[in-house]
Amino acid sequence: MSSTGSGRAYSPMTKYAAASGADATSPVDVSAAAGAHGHSGVKAGRIARILAESAGLLRGPQRLFPLIHSLAHDKIRITFEQRHLYSYTKTKRPTAEALESVVRWILDAQRPDGGIAAYYSLLTGLSESYPEVTGYIIPTLYDFARASGEQCALSAAQHATRWLLSLQMESGAFPGGLQGSDSQPSVFNTGQILQGLVRACAESGSADIRNSAIAAGNWLADTQQSDGSWSGAGAYQESAHTYYSMVAWSLAELAECAADERFGLAAERNLEWVLSYFRPSGWVDGINLRGHPDYLHFIAYALQGVLECAILRRRKDAFEAVEKPAWVLLRKFETGKHLAGAYEQDFKGGRKFSCVTGNAQMSCVWLRLFEVTHDLRYLNAALKMNETLKQLLPSRGRKGIVGGVSGSYPVWGAYQPLRYISWGNKFVADALMMEQRLKREFEGASCAS
Amino acid sequence: MRVVILCPSVYSETACAMAVRLAQAGYIPAGALTLPTADRGTLLRKLGQWGVREVVRYARAKMISRGGKAQSRLRNPYLAPLLSRKGKAFRNLREVAAADGFPIVTCSDQNSRRSIAQLRAWSPDLVVFAGGSILRKPLLAVPRMGAINVHLALLPEIRGMNSPEWSLLKDIPSGVTIHYMDAGIDTGPILRRCEFADGLHCQSLEDLRNRLIAFGIEKAAEVVAALDQGSVSATPQPEIDSEIGKDNQFFVMHEWLQARAAEKLMQRSFAAAAGKSDG
Repeated sequence: MSSTGSGRAYSPMTKYAAASGADATSPVDVSAAAGAHGHSGVKAGRIARILAESAGLLRGPQRLFPLIHSLAHDKIRITFEQRHLYSYTKTKRPTAEALESVVRWILDAQRPDGGIAAYYSLLTGLSESYPEVTGYIIPTLYDFARASGEQCALSAAQHATRWLLSLQMESGAFPGGLQGSDSQPSVFNTGQILQGLVRACAESGSADIRNSAIAAGNWLADTQQSDGSWSGAGAYQESAHTYYSMVAWSLAELAECAADERFGLAAERNLEWVLSYFRPSGWVDGINLRGHPDYLHFIAYALQGVLECAILRRRKDAFEAVEKPAWVLLRKFETGKHLAGAYEQDFKGGRKFSCVTGNAQMSCVWLRLFEVTHDLRYLNAALKMNETLKQLLPSRGRKGIVGGVSGSYPVWGAYQPLRYISWGNKFVADALMMEQRLKREFEGASCAS
Repeated sequence: MRVVILCPSVYSETACAMAVRLAQAGYIPAGALTLPTADRGTLLRKLGQWGVREVVRYARAKMISRGGKAQSRLRNPYLAPLLSRKGKAFRNLREVAAADGFPIVTCSDQNSRRSIAQLRAWSPDLVVFAGGSILRKPLLAVPRMGAINVHLALLPEIRGMNSPEWSLLKDIPSGVTIHYMDAGIDTGPILRRCEFADGLHCQSLEDLRNRLIAFGIEKAAEVVAALDQGSVSATPQPEIDSEIGKDNQFFVMHEWLQARAAEKLMQRSFAAAAGKSDG
């Protein structure tokens, strides 16, 4: 039975020092690394960030106690945690209550400008608004508003949309990085924001939002390479990445929303390119983040993008291609009660920490696969994964911590160490809402039969 | 035929009933290899599976001798007829071993060198698996004919954990399969598949599982006799690389799905009862 470990290999502060440089794969770090074009630049970005974050604690010494508390909490937990066959088979925290606290965190992370902060750092506090995450959190907020009737979630989605419209460049692209940090157009961020715009357009019927979405889609289609990938100036590290299938998903959605097949074809071109990187073992090559391991977050991104694209474009081959890695990871979770935070090629050599966001994304993937295939094993795995996610949510603490989804478990793990990240909350909220919806539908179908 | 039983604990009702039933059929075990009862791993697994209250109840019933009321404290009441012989009710494997004169050896790991050496010393024709760890190839290679297992669902449709519950949710008839064991999970050649008609009259998932266990022990004894007489042959299961291929393995079920399986069982029982009264 694998676990996140006995804690022997983890000394919180030394691990942080070693790892904080290795986590620059978050889109937040685009600004630090995008212009660097190589290892030396990535390294310089890491060092600058470690120094900046450490200095944050000097500026806000009141953050020392929550920092120590979080470190001690996770240290104690991983030391005594025993995973066995029946771990996570029982509901210890109601889904509705956990969902409420996760969404509350997102609402609290909305800055006065309307953007959602990227993270709450235990060292530096709440970050600036982050356009990319603000974009793809919009569908989550609309879903929550619809399910719960909460007006504040609806207002937050509308406020966020207005802010995003103000950021759009003349070309139709959106900038990368945090608010104010980068004025370069970014393919991935534009794709992720497009997801929010398409949803906001569907909800509001606004012509402005529709035009903005089409402009973003046009820019993406125009900058796409002939092989279907995106590389060059607008791509992270100027390289093509298979996890940009998320961009293809947004384009596929836009194709339906704008009734313009050009976007659908662009999505399928990328889909073809990504599928060429699927190996017989189920492994997806081409995550291609130089200097960083393949975090589960990015593997799951690649799978989510292909899966949603496959569903929207009715591509059976792509759907079947996703089933294989999804099943490999399901087996790993079911037999080990744990998914590694990062994997090497062919899902070998998993890292000890958990990438909580990646776990939530895999739950979303399994739930969608259940929705389409009706294979209850996907639902079963997702229900258990959601139990782990709910158990990891801090139920007490200051704003920014309570209801927050840490980048890693333990909190000093290699992916986004010492941070509660807004995209983590987004995916956990999505997973919990999908769980609620599919449970209702399953019960409804059972009653009907 | 020399038979050895592998079991998770000397207090395992299933293993005890299996030993009694085999002895009744003329196959007194040459020995029993068991795991320690109160080791940390077993305790944690049972706490997760049953909860604290049930573990305490079980420990009181099994380990603290109260004499006389053994049958009323059985976890599985359907094993009561199997646990009685010539007016004597057996409560644990030690009592059966004492009555029939076979040795019990406790080992911390059924796949360890010591366990394999012990098994070799008994020179079994057949191992009957009544629970414990996942058996590895070196151990499975010791018995001349192989090792058999009672799986609580029909193979090859449902492999793995919570198989009675998954059978319900997948609308596959309840039943048991006696099969040879190999290095996979319930992937070995099938000796006998038996549908369980009484599954329609169960009151709960626990009731269904208990009945299936008793039914499975009866069928295992029949298969052992048939193997001895050479009147049964094994059918291989379809091969699949389960690491990457989506196969028929099922995993421990979340309680929400277990509740849906229980509802389905109730619906089936009501439908059967209604059909009977209509008829």
